[in-house]
Amino acid sequence: MSEYVIEMLNITKEFPGIKANDDITLQLRQGEIHALLGENGAGKSTLMSVLFGLYQPDKGIIKKDGKEVKINNPNDANALHIGMVHQHFKLVEVFSVLDNIILGVEPGKLGFLQKQEARKSVIELSERYGLKVDPDARIEDISVGMQQRVEILKMLYRDNDILIFDEPTAVLTPQEIDELMDIMRGFKNEGKSILFITHKLNEIMAVADRCTVLRKGKCIATVDIKSTNKQELSRMMVGRDISFTVDKKESSPGDVVLNVEGLTVASKVHKNNAVKNVSFNVRKGEIVCLAGIEGNGQTEFVMALTGLEKPVKGRIALNGHDITHAPIRKRSQLGMSHIPEDRHKYGLVLDFTLEENFVLQRYWDKQFQNGGFINKKAVRDYSEKLIEQYDVRSGQGPLTIARSMSGGNQQKAIVAREIDKDPDLLVAVQPTRGLDVGAIEYIHRQIVAHRDEGKAVLLVSLELDEVMNVSDRILVMYEGEIVGEFDPQKTNVQELGLFMAGAARKTPSATDESEANNA
Amino acid sequence: MKSFLNRVFRSKGFSSFIASLVSIVVGLLVGLIVLLFFDSAHAMNGFRHIVTAGLSDPGKLAKVFYQAAPLIMTGLSVGFAFKTGLFNIGATGQYTIGAFCGLFCALQFHSPWYVALLAAMLGGAIWGAIPGLCKAFFNVNEVITSIMFNWIGLFLVNLIFSNMPELLAVGNRTIAIGSESMIPKLGLDKLFGSPYMNASIIIAVVFAVVSWIILTKTTFGYELRACGFNRNASVYAGINAKRSIILSMVIAGAFAGIGGGIYYLNGTAQYTLEKSLLSMGFNGIPVALLASSHPLGTIFGALFVSYIQVGGEAMQPEFVKEIIDIIIAIIIYLAAFSLLTKEIIAKIVKGKRRNAVELSAPAEPSAAPAQTTNDNGGVEK
Amino acid sequence: MKKFMAIALVVLMALPVFAACSNNETYEIALVTDVGNIDDKSFNEGAWNGVKEYAEANGISYNYYRPSEDTTAARVETIATAVEKGAKVVVCPGFLFEEAIYQVQDMEQYANVQFLLLDGEPHDADYNYKTGANVHCILYQEEQAGFFAGYAAVMDGYRSLGFLGGMAVPAVQRFGYGFVQGCDAAAEALGLNANDVTIKYWYSGVFSANDDIKTKMSGWYTEGVEVVFACGGGIYLSAVQAATEANGKVIGVDVDQSSESELIITSAMKGLTDSVKIALTDLYANEGKWPEDQAGKTATLGAAQNCVGLPTAEGSWRFNTFTVEQYNELFTKVVNGEIVVSADVSAAPAVKLVSVDYQA
Repeated sequence: MSEYVIEMLNITKEFPGIKANDDITLQLRQGEIHALLGENGAGKSTLMSVLFGLYQPDKGIIKKDGKEVKINNPNDANALHIGMVHQHFKLVEVFSVLDNIILGVEPGKLGFLQKQEARKSVIELSERYGLKVDPDARIEDISVGMQQRVEILKMLYRDNDILIFDEPTAVLTPQEIDELMDIMRGFKNEGKSILFITHKLNEIMAVADRCTVLRKGKCIATVDIKSTNKQELSRMMVGRDISFTVDKKESSPGDVVLNVEGLTVASKVHKNNAVKNVSFNVRKGEIVCLAGIEGNGQTEFVMALTGLEKPVKGRIALNGHDITHAPIRKRSQLGMSHIPEDRHKYGLVLDFTLEENFVLQRYWDKQFQNGGFINKKAVRDYSEKLIEQYDVRSGQGPLTIARSMSGGNQQKAIVAREIDKDPDLLVAVQPTRGLDVGAIEYIHRQIVAHRDEGKAVLLVSLELDEVMNVSDRILVMYEGEIVGEFDPQKTNVQELGLFMAGAARKTPSATDESEANNA
Repeated sequence: MKSFLNRVFRSKGFSSFIASLVSIVVGLLVGLIVLLFFDSAHAMNGFRHIVTAGLSDPGKLAKVFYQAAPLIMTGLSVGFAFKTGLFNIGATGQYTIGAFCGLFCALQFHSPWYVALLAAMLGGAIWGAIPGLCKAFFNVNEVITSIMFNWIGLFLVNLIFSNMPELLAVGNRTIAIGSESMIPKLGLDKLFGSPYMNASIIIAVVFAVVSWIILTKTTFGYELRACGFNRNASVYAGINAKRSIILSMVIAGAFAGIGGGIYYLNGTAQYTLEKSLLSMGFNGIPVALLASSHPLGTIFGALFVSYIQVGGEAMQPEFVKEIIDIIIAIIIYLAAFSLLTKEIIAKIVKGKRRNAVELSAPAEPSAAPAQTTNDNGGVEK
Repeated sequence: MKKFMAIALVVLMALPVFAACSNNETYEIALVTDVGNIDDKSFNEGAWNGVKEYAEANGISYNYYRPSEDTTAARVETIATAVEKGAKVVVCPGFLFEEAIYQVQDMEQYANVQFLLLDGEPHDADYNYKTGANVHCILYQEEQAGFFAGYAAVMDGYRSLGFLGGMAVPAVQRFGYGFVQGCDAAAEALGLNANDVTIKYWYSGVFSANDDIKTKMSGWYTEGVEVVFACGGGIYLSAVQAATEANGKVIGVDVDQSSESELIITSAMKGLTDSVKIALTDLYANEGKWPEDQAGKTATLGAAQNCVGLPTAEGSWRFNTFTVEQYNELFTKVVNGEIVVSADVSAAPAVKLVSVDYQA
């Protein structure tokens, strides 16, 4: 018996233009939690895809229990008892939990489904590992955390004992994260081996035994967690020292820039309103953060605020102008900038060049057009200025097609475009989502700098670290309502987590006022 | 000079051009193979005709131009809609309505050619606007609407003409148009010695240039393209996406309508009450594909398709029309694969270039910014 | 990339080779179709069969060409292609060639090419007629064809008939007046009383189907018309539509249209195959030039040359009581002059027994 259940030896995988994995060796021991740490683009997902049979390595071999194996597709991986919880769940929304779990390995007799047996074993598994689920609930009706449990049960149902978790905590509340950690420890005690992909150092420190760090496709080191610390890990990951806190001065809020009163927005997926009677202010020189777990109405709120959706009722005022029903461009002209949640869907025209994307919000401006004709030189000069000023890196400068840029630089381009408009109100939604530590640090600095110029910022974030570090005031949103207002200096992650999960609420004063007004 | 050439070779336009060229060659080769299969004895001779007939005498060249002009317009129509993210499969309907409006003005009112052409443009624009409106306001897929409007247009035109017997000649066709309604010949017919030759090719080229300017130089074109590439992002940028969709279809329809106009106002064409959709509109699709929807490329795409058609005709009588149509279709079809070819070429070139880079210099700073976006970069939900 | 370049180069280098290996096959007798194919069950097919039978019997090379589209310009162009490929005789079936032949007949390069125009005479767009010396036209005695159709219909028991013409041009009028004469003759032969047989007679003014015609025909069928002789291009479609709804019958024209609809009981045919063979025989008997009496002239062929008639094939003969023998007897009488059908279109034909309702 080999010491390692899985060995990936000298794996090299090349894509056109990039070596995603360069001679990487990863050895997973029986019954350990092994973290795989790295920035975006470091090659973590590629490596796991190789292990899961989605890619074939150009060089290198994979061994299972000391014997070389060929994994040509996920079925092969399954046969070797390798299971994976993907970052984006692969569930059939309209199927029940049970149906999803048995999908692909349905027990049957003579072509007839034997669901009772399956139900029994699923319930047994869920009790054994403390993964509480309702087998008959439909996926679309259950929470994200619940869905993740379904994914985990899927692996267990297939008798997998090598479990890959790809960024499992990104969508969870702090409480749910703690539960997941417990579940993972439970697996470890059962003798299962876990590969845990993440870029969150806290989680690694909390749960992992060993950690392999990747940077730019290369394996930097494999270290024992007991003998290391966060600083060292981050240095290995990024290649330089990173500050985990954002340096900023006390905020000195001024006049009200954004005033939201009784805003109610319909949901697209269900009959209830996604945003219910939300009221608050954002003032000059402060960063207000709208925190909450994904799917609690933040997206719909931002849509209504920025004009992408129409609110059912309520009033939005920007610098005293009623913009509740104003077209998007009008809002922009009145001084609103918007860093959208989904940079590919909204933020960029991926097939446009970088310079064309830089003027996406301003191409109609006199500065960039002349009698309906675009002033190419002005656009070029402006782009070069932004590239320089905001350090946006790309292959062909202003002429780079946005699609070919890295996620971090795409985001930097959006941030550059939106902040350079010098807006009175910057609406930044998940501005650091999916970015690596370096880029996050940079974008946070930009946002704080914008505040320091006396502008207002509304930050919508799911990342509690970000919420705590960047904001001057925190509003927690739960099921479309603001359930609490906090000063980041006087609260902690645990308290926020309770509010985010709906376990506690206190009505902030702003809501009181508006309710009084409405009544 | 060297750097200039280098720039040309690396430019997007050039790689599209090479891709189209390679596709054409592949199409021709496959066409030849099919010819050999049908009739090996005459294949070589037939192939020679396809490749050379269009240039064999001025009359044939005139025919190439004559057919290319409306093809440019329908190609522009399809390409313009493509650029804005719409698939205008209704070009043939817009073309038919355009032809009708032009002919109607010419036959009924004996209006001058530019008035008739304007009417053709308006007719096509209206016919294009309807699918655009349906798409913008009711989110009905423009493909479905425009396919239906192809047939509605065709039968509407047939219905109107067959109930206006004074406009029809023997044999279910429109009577000849007066010389005042014909596109001016500018003496080109004498120069080429062919009644086919007139100013329509010039008109079409002018519109191609106009289309190019609109798309690449104006804020309006910027809006249309933004909307075409990414509807959500254009809305986010404050662009009125509904307006863009409608206008894009209106312009696409106008182009196709002009195509119908210039073809039937030539004086040589006669509109016959057909029961099948006119192929000129559909042929705009391969023309646009061949040109990668580039307005100026459309000129060459249309010339190529027309050239092959004229060449194909010259294969008679050794090859019957049906086989000729198959061969033409194969060549055009494969030639329209230029996008695929482009990707293949890009792969080969990239492979070569990377090898070269690795051999000569270990690193090329900032030349390879493309990170794999599959690593956690997936922010799409 | 290199590979593609190599292929491209090979192809480019191969081009001159193609040019070199050109084999100049020529075809002496050429048929240019009006636009359709040679299996159109109509003029093209009839004429093509004539060309084929004559050329094969006499060992002359032949082939056919199709214009790229349905226009006079395309037909002129295709005639040029045919001549380039060595055609000495160009057979053009159908009136669609009238303007095309008018344009080419005087061209210098075609001075030695002989044209055969079937069922039409060359004219320009303003209907100025002129037939060049290298052109021979064949028209048909439509009145005889119409006579056979009318005679057969009445003999078969139809008493209420209709004539639906296209435009009131001589060819159509001859069909119509022949039809009336045929009905009258049959009524006499059957010993019917006056007005036992009635005919409604109308020109639609167009050669294409439209709703007005269909409405009119529906009215006729409702009023008791049993069979309509639809004479003029596509208008038979309107007649068939109306007949389908009213359970009436239709008589076809020009070619055997029995395959178009079950309701077509017979067709007043023109015999293209035979007429082409007759003309080609005369041509080659005169060393490949039209003989004096044909050059620049129009021949009108009829029953005597077996160039008009009704279809007698198994599936096309749809009469109940009227037999092929009776038809052959009638045909012979027309051939040998016992029965003379008037071709005069200056006035409606005189009739003895039938009543004709000429509608405007």
